[in-house]
Amino acid sequence: MRALRFWLVGLASLLLLATLAVGVGAVPLGAGDVWRALLGAGDETTVAIVRALRLPRVALAALVGAGLGMSGAALQGTLRNALAEPYLLGVSGGAAVGAVLAVAAGVASEAGVPLAAFAGAGAAVAVVIAVARAAGGRADPRVLLMSGVIVGAFANAAIMILLADAAPNTVRGALWWMMGSVSGADWARVGWLALHLLLGGAGLLAWAREIDVLALGEEPAASLGLDVERSARRVYFLASLLAAATVAAAGLVGFVGLVVPHLARGGGLRGHRAILLGAALAGAALVVAADLVARVARAPAELPLGAVTALVGVPFFLVLLRRGERA
Amino acid sequence: MLARRLRRLARPRFPGSIAALLAAAALACGERPAERTGYEIDDFGAVVALGAPPARIVSLNPTTTEILFALGAGPRLVGRTHWDLYPDSARRVPDMGDGLRPNVEAVLAARPDLVVLYASEDNRAAARALREAGVGTVALKVDRIAHFRRATTLLGRLVGDSARARDVIDSVTRTLDRVRAATAAAPRTTVFWHVWDAPLMTVGGGSYMTELVDIAGGRNVYGHLAAVSPTVSIEDLLRRRPQVILAGAAGRERILGSAAWRAVPAVRAGRVLVADTALVGRPGVRLGEGAAHLARLLHPELAP
Amino acid sequence: MIAVRDLVVRYRGGGDAAVDGVSFTAPAGRVTAIAGPNGSGKSTIVRALLGRVPVAAGTAAVGAAETAPTSPRDRRALARELAVVTQREEPAFPMRVRDYVALGRYPHGSAWSAESAADRAAVARALERAGVAPLAARRTDELSGGEWQRARIARALAQEAAALVLDEPTTFLDVAHEMAVFELLAALAADGIAVLLVSHQLNLVARFADHIVLLHRGRVAAAGTPAEVMQGATLEAVYEWPLVVTRDPAVGAPALVPLRGRGRR
Repeated sequence: MRALRFWLVGLASLLLLATLAVGVGAVPLGAGDVWRALLGAGDETTVAIVRALRLPRVALAALVGAGLGMSGAALQGTLRNALAEPYLLGVSGGAAVGAVLAVAAGVASEAGVPLAAFAGAGAAVAVVIAVARAAGGRADPRVLLMSGVIVGAFANAAIMILLADAAPNTVRGALWWMMGSVSGADWARVGWLALHLLLGGAGLLAWAREIDVLALGEEPAASLGLDVERSARRVYFLASLLAAATVAAAGLVGFVGLVVPHLARGGGLRGHRAILLGAALAGAALVVAADLVARVARAPAELPLGAVTALVGVPFFLVLLRRGERA
Repeated sequence: MLARRLRRLARPRFPGSIAALLAAAALACGERPAERTGYEIDDFGAVVALGAPPARIVSLNPTTTEILFALGAGPRLVGRTHWDLYPDSARRVPDMGDGLRPNVEAVLAARPDLVVLYASEDNRAAARALREAGVGTVALKVDRIAHFRRATTLLGRLVGDSARARDVIDSVTRTLDRVRAATAAAPRTTVFWHVWDAPLMTVGGGSYMTELVDIAGGRNVYGHLAAVSPTVSIEDLLRRRPQVILAGAAGRERILGSAAWRAVPAVRAGRVLVADTALVGRPGVRLGEGAAHLARLLHPELAP
Repeated sequence: MIAVRDLVVRYRGGGDAAVDGVSFTAPAGRVTAIAGPNGSGKSTIVRALLGRVPVAAGTAAVGAAETAPTSPRDRRALARELAVVTQREEPAFPMRVRDYVALGRYPHGSAWSAESAADRAAVARALERAGVAPLAARRTDELSGGEWQRARIARALAQEAAALVLDEPTTFLDVAHEMAVFELLAALAADGIAVLLVSHQLNLVARFADHIVLLHRGRVAAAGTPAEVMQGATLEAVYEWPLVVTRDPAVGAPALVPLRGRGRR
């Protein structure tokens, strides 16, 4: 069965990549050293590198990928659009504005910028839904998408104005955040994102069958007894929650939420419960791989995570276009 | 090579090779106290004509502002950047905003006859605009201690007091030599200088800060990198095991509040030290004091 | 059965009512057809049954359930009584026909429940009844127009509702597939389902429907058996085109023949 193959390959890839990511980095370490360090034994610095730096980083990368994959899959099904992605409903714009404001204000605490980004994302999504509702859109995907574009454009303008005469450090910090990175990973952040992933993911999985029905279209879904508006709003909220949580934890990481649902669907998974999980798995593997590349491609400096995922995304979509995606 | 450059850049007002030869001679023999004709070449490769000493100077860089005050040209300053706060009397000079991509209109409104810029690519457009407006413009690099010496010498010539320039340079040099001698025998303390953490940036071999660390009896673990402020990763930093981390006050707070930094032994040992940015934040006239300050931080066991 | 009484529907933006006081019933075991020119309000009635347009006045009821459900439970209850095949449907992402038909079981479970044996049996029955059982493993984007239409009917049948409403089910179908759909509808009615059909295929409607409701500008222009409704004068007034009504040679049902346009060849 195709689906079974997808799961096996997916799980195997994730495990392999995670292992590789913990073992490889800017500092070359032997396999034995890594193993001992995982157990807490051996040279103190190696233990610190493996347990305090690489392990939380890999965990955070996997969670970010899983969150983005699930969010993208849910939105693509609900909006009936193969190009929908987690940041659609204003998440990226709002989060960026929040983050830039926090960086400009010189927020010192570690949680400052992530929380500001999260708040900004939430505010933006609320505005997008309000604008769509005011335009009479109800749950019409096209109105919602347009509203997302408008809010996104406004957010971009705001960011440009904020950065125009900001101090160089502010600009640098803001740009770095917007390019995405899991380098600030620590167990607290991993736990925070895991909690949000659990809440949002469990919700989406519980209501996955509604996404199946929504994917048929507004009228068919209504004819099957689904409250289309309420159901769609629920998906938007949960998907945006996941997206906002990943953005708060790691900045903007593009393409993952767009690409991975296609992998899941192409892997023969049936029904959105399976597709959501499959997208989560594929997303986790992808971001772990991307972070690995980001760390070693130009050591000791790091590439931004968002740049690596974009580089992966572009050829992927060319392949998709050529194969003539039927979606 | 210098002469060739001069010939290429010579303005129509000072025609041909005679002027070039005179300029070359002037530069080669060192300045003469009363010599008021000739050229300097600034760090954008542009020619700066030496005419009458400027009466209205705009200095868009903290280092050059300090130097100009030390040269006694402080009363002639009609503009500074937002960050030029030394000496105290500098605060009375009108604030022109940023030193990078300055507001050219605001600068011109002060009617200066000399503008001093930091020689960064960001300032090329401003330099050109000011020159086209007929204002004498000098762009100077201020990344290393040698640049400080050169800037002081050049500015001394421009304002017509080269003797004082020499005194300033000598005074700083003496202090630096004293600090170097005092720490020469002590074992080198390895240092990581934290500049920014998202991304993680430090100072490299191209910066005067590395030189100061060296004079103060330390060694910058990233001194082998040629850049002025390279980006590195925390994992690589762990490998280099610096004994001391230098940072600004805000940077120290961020380091101590971060779980990831606790993996660094120096942080766990409590050796994150605040470097006084007023003293070491620029290669200005207080370089000597800066070196002494660092020496006290890195080698507290030696008498100041 | 479906009972509509004095239904008035106005769209936002004012203008005349799209449906202006329409009453009819579609009893179980019969094929009832709503016919009329474009814009006469046919599809609006379907939307009103779905609860997708606000009803200004009048009622529409399906069996015991009201068609203005407010709670999720009411909505699902309505979907168990009323199955609707809308005018057009295109899934955004292809899926297996069997999975597609299985979605028709949604009103019978909750969002969390998995497929039960009863569900599986209902799906199998629906596939069989609609004649698409051999296509169960195919993907929806691999079906022809006629196969897709029957798959959609199968999904509606999986709902196991007592009433089935179809909005223009034979557009884009060739004559063979059209006949197949109409014959299926007649068979379903014979099984006891209340079939309500919106169609502008007047001739086929005349052959298969037991009762026709002819709409004109939101009002009922004529209602009754095909013989009663298919009168030349009535149809000409409603469709605003010269025509004659004759008898078809196959089964003798009334058949409409449009004449040449005025002043043209």
